[in-house]
Amino acid sequence: MKTIALYSIKGGVGKTASAVNLAYLSSLSKPPTLICDLDPQGASSFYFRIVPNRKFSSKKFLKGSSKIYDNIKGTDYENLDLLPADFSYRNLDIELMEEKKPQKKLKNNIRELNTEYPFIFFDCPPNLTLLSESVFAASDIILVPLIPTTLSLRTFEQLVAFFKESRLDTSKIRGFFTMYERRKSMHREIIEKYSGKKRFLKRIIPYNSEVEKMGIYRAPLNAVRPHAPASIAYRELWEELMREIT
Amino acid sequence: MRATPSPLFFRLPETSENLSRLTNNNDTFLFEPEPEKKETLRFYDTFDWKAWKTGNHVVLNGRKLIVYDLKSCREVCSAPLRRVPRSFFPDTIDHKETAARLRAIAKLRAFIQFGSVETAVQRWRLLDDNKKTVATVELQRLAGNHQNDSTICLTLFPVRGYDRFFETAATQLRQSCGKPAEITSRVYYSTLMEAAGAVPGGYSSKPSVKLDPRDTILDSSKSLLLSALDVLYANEEWIPKHIDTEFLHDYRVAVRRIRSILAQFKGVFPPDKLAHYKNAFRELGKRTNNLRDQDVYLLQEQHFMSILPEPMRDSLKPFFTDLFNRQKKELRSFTRYIRSDAYKNLMREWEEFLRSDMTSDPATTPAAKTLTSDFAVATVSKAWKKAIRHGRSISSIATDTELHSLRIDCKKLRYLLEFYASVFPARTLQKVLKQLKTLQNNLGVFVDLSVQQSYLFDYLSTLKPDTHAISFSAAIGGLITALHHEREKTRQNFHNAFNTFDSDETEALFHALLKKHR
Repeated sequence: MKTIALYSIKGGVGKTASAVNLAYLSSLSKPPTLICDLDPQGASSFYFRIVPNRKFSSKKFLKGSSKIYDNIKGTDYENLDLLPADFSYRNLDIELMEEKKPQKKLKNNIRELNTEYPFIFFDCPPNLTLLSESVFAASDIILVPLIPTTLSLRTFEQLVAFFKESRLDTSKIRGFFTMYERRKSMHREIIEKYSGKKRFLKRIIPYNSEVEKMGIYRAPLNAVRPHAPASIAYRELWEELMREIT
Repeated sequence: MRATPSPLFFRLPETSENLSRLTNNNDTFLFEPEPEKKETLRFYDTFDWKAWKTGNHVVLNGRKLIVYDLKSCREVCSAPLRRVPRSFFPDTIDHKETAARLRAIAKLRAFIQFGSVETAVQRWRLLDDNKKTVATVELQRLAGNHQNDSTICLTLFPVRGYDRFFETAATQLRQSCGKPAEITSRVYYSTLMEAAGAVPGGYSSKPSVKLDPRDTILDSSKSLLLSALDVLYANEEWIPKHIDTEFLHDYRVAVRRIRSILAQFKGVFPPDKLAHYKNAFRELGKRTNNLRDQDVYLLQEQHFMSILPEPMRDSLKPFFTDLFNRQKKELRSFTRYIRSDAYKNLMREWEEFLRSDMTSDPATTPAAKTLTSDFAVATVSKAWKKAIRHGRSISSIATDTELHSLRIDCKKLRYLLEFYASVFPARTLQKVLKQLKTLQNNLGVFVDLSVQQSYLFDYLSTLKPDTHAISFSAAIGGLITALHHEREKTRQNFHNAFNTFDSDETEALFHALLKKHR
């Protein structure tokens, strides 16, 4: 069993697109896979056209496995299920504070899901809160999508610093570049400096307008446009990650 | 925890108009059709239907080998195959999980393709307002190679978390297909296989004859012998194909069962006939001995290799190559025999004899009219006491001959208990058999190891001295030593195994078993 979090302090870097595409690729080779949408915006739920049950809320989520089980929904793809996010998730942090060991909460809650899903993906909201800490403890790998800009790199360094400060395992962190545009010199320079270095994956996801159209397709790009440049890059990224994991 | 509902199956006489009305104008769902797909399904199972009996369905769809769970109807695992095999062993599947699953179903048996069916599959996705798939419907037209009419099956598959939609769709389908059309998953899968011309579960090597305790033993033994004859018939055409070792094994067990009845059911059959058939089946059994021995060695190849030190393993290879060639020859000769007139005549006469009206004669067949229950009690208690008596008299050293003869006693007892399985209370019988099996395992391993050692000794003595033979002989020597140690360990365990069998508990079980008809 592997849990993989798509996480970034910064928004709009391609967390959801990466979570959806990588989880889809995972379900093709190592079924079954689960995506937990933790972002109250519910973008990955939207991509799969899934609406949470009316009675589902952050409170139920915190109650753990049996409540979680009841609210898991099948996507349109075999071996790929999703736990949709509810808008009430915006209060997850406050509710976590009332728990005894908030950092361990998520890890304990998903423990029973392990038997059913060899791969679990977390699509996280963009901030650094108690929920993020809970995600860090529950994940085997923390994948951080980065646009090749200085601001993005800064947040990455902030994350590493936070891990060190909180005595968390920094070896879980893996950065990878998204939305790369070759015509931009800063992009080129940053890629040259960081790609494939310590804590960075080699594979780069190029800027591809098809990724943005996922909102129209409402499906993983790899399922509907498998030959798009970004789809090919995601496939290669997944292969690279699999080589590291197994 | 809420489980996702199982798929629903329907068998339809023909594509009904109701159905097309359902798919075309539906208020609840949008039926989104997918392009029709043609698929060839090839079904596999062991000869004795082990997959089917353990709730599995093994099918090759195109080049994808899939194992389904019959109960949940879910795909458990799948593996790509490079070609379409007529038969295969689990170990040859190049996918760990699938190979393990198939091995758990049958270790020694080959999975044989027993039929194929051409299907045309029309799928619809049932979409909700968000255009999210909430269920799928599959219409399958089957055109088997053994049927003229095509069969139509309809399946409704759930999507996790959308139970309410599933229920609605199920109600709609029930209304438009008619209630009697709904079938269980097992019926659905057997419909598929019937279209391919196969009836699942058709063969079993164990006698499943239901005896009436009030019948005469003559009638009962005739039905037992006829069922053993069926096993001979079922396996004889498969042995020459050499697909797996179990055809010969089942065949041999059936021969032994026949011999066991002829030997132990005294005073039931006319003496002249009895002597004739006893002899005939002894000879038949003998003809298969070498083949079976060779099978056993070849099955043990991995094990034999693993008990030798690594540098010696290669030297042993010529032994198996030689064995393989000898077996080919042996199989040819046995095949010739079972295709010969002599064999066919024997089987025909034997069947005629079993189906003939035998009049009992108090002088020659005094026991023929005994009630089956009385006869069962008498023979079982006799065989049990004999096994106990012989076992107790075995010295602390436990010599080869002592153990060998006790093994035969136990086998006789085991067969008797199995013959009368339908006469005795099932639960007690199961417990008795369990106790007996433990002892038989010990004895069986011991005798096998002894036979293997002496075979290797004989083999060694036939080798011509040349330089190649040195490392080869050393490997055989090493093997003999290793087998010797294994055997001695088994010998040491014998008394423990026997004491468990010769216990108050087992005795009480036997009394409980026999009490029913006393």
